[in-house]
Amino acid sequence: MIKEFFVSLLHYFVDITTAVIIAAAVYLTFSGQQVGNAILWQILFSGFITALPTAVLLCFDPKSGRISAILWGLHFLLIFLITVMLLKMFGWCRITPLSVSLTFVAVVFIYVFTCSVHYLVARKHTAWMNQQLKKRYSDDEQIKKEKP
Amino acid sequence: MRIIIESPQPNDEDVVIVRCASPDQRLISMLLSFQNAKTELTGYLDDKIVRLKYYDVYYFEANENRVFAYCHSDVYEVKYKLYELEELFNPLDFLRCSKSMIVNMEKIEYLSPLFSGKLEAHLKNGEKVLISRQYVRSLKAKLGIEEVE
Repeated sequence: MIKEFFVSLLHYFVDITTAVIIAAAVYLTFSGQQVGNAILWQILFSGFITALPTAVLLCFDPKSGRISAILWGLHFLLIFLITVMLLKMFGWCRITPLSVSLTFVAVVFIYVFTCSVHYLVARKHTAWMNQQLKKRYSDDEQIKKEKP
Repeated sequence: MRIIIESPQPNDEDVVIVRCASPDQRLISMLLSFQNAKTELTGYLDDKIVRLKYYDVYYFEANENRVFAYCHSDVYEVKYKLYELEELFNPLDFLRCSKSMIVNMEKIEYLSPLFSGKLEAHLKNGEKVLISRQYVRSLKAKLGIEEVE
């Protein structure tokens, strides 16, 4: 369980940090803003602090789909609030309705990016598992068919 | 070591022959676990008592301190705890897939991923069972994809 937690934390930290760097690169290119090297540490810190609730959430195993959806919804809100807090803390921009809206769009982008990466990796693994299942049980069925 | 599986002649009994210079501990424990592996259990449905064969069970589910065996269309109560069933059927292709479920891998038609990181197992009777993230590793190990630690 503890190992699972740290593995999830590391995976999400890498994915979120990558997505934040992409979002920052796009924003800085279009705004023409110059930033110092402190931004790199701030991005790493924000990647870690937002990966943390994700790794905690994945430790829960709700039975019902409804509870699972509620937990993911709350998780999204928490990530959004943390990001707004980080904006204020690091002074990345002033808190205005426009900056909050843009942050919302950025969080949606990072969320979709991270979920898609994980989904695509899982899909690849699942295809492999399906292949193994087919191989294993088609052999068994063949033996059963040969038996009278 | 080579493993050879041959189909017997019609009406012949299934037999396991081990040909080796000297059986080691690993081989003996493997043969004992094969011989002792439970393949039947008693199921209760209303006032009926039925002998259930392991290969008829699609999955076991624990619900409010009771454990049920789900077959193709019938559901039987079994007088075992889920962890006991997990131990009993571990040598067979049964897999713990969540805190309250054990699924028969042989009954899985195919798997599909979900956005939450879980897997959905589509069973041969049309039912769907969720495989929690923490048990995906055991599934991979059983399928020979990931090494068991």
